[in-house]
Amino acid sequence: MLLFKLAFRNIFRQRRRSLLTAMSLIGGYVLCVFSFSMSEGSYNNAITFFTQDHTGHIQIHKEDYLLRPKIHKTIEAPEELSAMLDANEEIASHTLRIFAPSIAYSDTDNTPAQVIGVDLDRERTTSTLAAKISEGSYINSEIDGEGYYSAMIGAGIANNLNIGLGDELILISQGADGSIANDIYMVGAIVGDRDSGDRATVFLPLATAQEFLSMYDAVHEVSILLEDDGRARAEAEALQELLPDLSVDPWQVVEATFYQSMQTDKQGNAVFMGIIIFIVFVGVMNTVLMSVLERTREFGVLKAIGSRPAKLTLLITLETTVLALISVLIGLLLATPLILWFTYAGFALPEPIDVGGVLMSHMTGELSLFVFGTPLLLVLGFAIVISIPAGIRAALNSPTEAMRSH
Amino acid sequence: MKLAYKPAPLLRRTCLVLLTLLLTGMANAADQAIEIIDAMEELYRGESSLARMTMIVETPQYQRTMEMESSSIGTEKAFIRILAPRKDRGISTLKLDLEMWNYLPKINKVIKVPPSMMMGSWMGSDFTNDDLVKQTTLTDEYDLTMEETADQYHVDLVPKSNTVTVWGRINYVINKEPLMPLSQNFYDDNDEFIRKMEFSEPREISGLFIPTRMEMIPMNKEGHKTVIIYDDLQFDPPEIDESIFTLRNLRSRF
Repeated sequence: MLLFKLAFRNIFRQRRRSLLTAMSLIGGYVLCVFSFSMSEGSYNNAITFFTQDHTGHIQIHKEDYLLRPKIHKTIEAPEELSAMLDANEEIASHTLRIFAPSIAYSDTDNTPAQVIGVDLDRERTTSTLAAKISEGSYINSEIDGEGYYSAMIGAGIANNLNIGLGDELILISQGADGSIANDIYMVGAIVGDRDSGDRATVFLPLATAQEFLSMYDAVHEVSILLEDDGRARAEAEALQELLPDLSVDPWQVVEATFYQSMQTDKQGNAVFMGIIIFIVFVGVMNTVLMSVLERTREFGVLKAIGSRPAKLTLLITLETTVLALISVLIGLLLATPLILWFTYAGFALPEPIDVGGVLMSHMTGELSLFVFGTPLLLVLGFAIVISIPAGIRAALNSPTEAMRSH
Repeated sequence: MKLAYKPAPLLRRTCLVLLTLLLTGMANAADQAIEIIDAMEELYRGESSLARMTMIVETPQYQRTMEMESSSIGTEKAFIRILAPRKDRGISTLKLDLEMWNYLPKINKVIKVPPSMMMGSWMGSDFTNDDLVKQTTLTDEYDLTMEETADQYHVDLVPKSNTVTVWGRINYVINKEPLMPLSQNFYDDNDEFIRKMEFSEPREISGLFIPTRMEMIPMNKEGHKTVIIYDDLQFDPPEIDESIFTLRNLRSRF
């Protein structure tokens, strides 16, 4: 307790110096918190966006379909798998999909189109497809009075082919059996706008797409949404053990380009913040060394009357740590409203940024223990690390020489 | 001039005779090769033809059988219509000179095969669109060298310098008795073996022995094979006329 009293007294002995040191610490801390909040927040937004948009938290494919998609790399008889996934309590929902490149025709024009066959009911609960519909309504898998199945088309296709709701859409592709897949569908909905990722996609009911591509009772992809998005890797590993014949990958692998650029960026950010804190602490170190130097005589006296050297070191470490802690607490008070605003309001970017294929248009922060805690630990850690050498120096002084100095 | 009256020494005369013999022999071999290859190429064509065939496409992933009807006049005009399976019934291909169209009845659309797709697969088989379209006369476009064994001719075809082709060499094996093709082996510019076509199950039609089974085997795609079996082949049948080979007929439902 005495040590604390001493530490506080020493801090307030040179008020102006302590205040300046504290200010640089506060500034460094707030900057750090803000920066972490920004990178975590924007990335988490992006992750939430694409996992819910189409990726899901975990995907299942046959072999290396993810890297080298081939129409014949299919998951056969997916009902069994579906039943198993439905029974799993960690899994919120899942959906089945098949993919094929195709050419879409209207009477006059043609344009390349990616055909995605989706399990309509499951897709609704797994991805945001239903929410992305800009015209018309979510289709059903029934054949209509004129013998057509419905399709949902990206806005880019609608624009290129100059077709709208209720118009005929002709698709030509290659079937899984080498045949020419060709059929006519009715446009039931238009998805997104001309800038969205689905602009060149045609969504068909799963069974319709399977018939179109002559690949009955087989799918290319199972996309899974978990209850807890943090468990993607662990759950993917668990599923992989249950499904040795298939490839189970968490979103970190599915969106590897994004994930890697995110990791690189985050690491760069962390290094940069480390440098900022380091610079702040060069100033703090100066303060500590000065205060030790000007108290050489004092320490000599303390040692002469029987203070143990370790106590002196502890005293100096404590002083710095207390100063750092006070600064961090003030920083926390200042940063909290800032981060709260940043998290719940945020600001729109003038130009959307493309991060590994995911567009980020809005910048919002993240409010979490990580955002506040990491810089806090960083500051306290630095405080202890830099004060120990100064403390040891004070402790090692011989009392007689110390008392002679001025 | 004086020399001409001089009797040539025996040795030189012998040499000359041998050389002449050899030269005529070579000329004959080259002519014979041209004759044989021309005959082989004419085999399936006649003036006009009408055929019913079965095509079996085998890949490691699937096997598909199609029945089709094919009509042709010379090498310039061909019309092929798929009869089975039901899903593909009515899909037709029209070839006129160097152009090619596919008709898809389900969507009622005629699609011209663009030049860039000529090396693409025809109906998912190992035959390319180009195989159907090409009408090069092998003997005009290639230099021939022939080797003869007891019962086979082996003719090597190397493209002439101004020939436009994807092949660096074609090795044509022909059976002597009866005279019919046995295999064609296709090599690229680096002399790599790309694909082979084998002929078997000959049947006598209009006095010619014609193999009714053809197998196209690409060497660079394991497990892939296309078999064409002629179920029926008639030459110069009365029902073939020019009106078949029109875009209008291509569009007609049947």
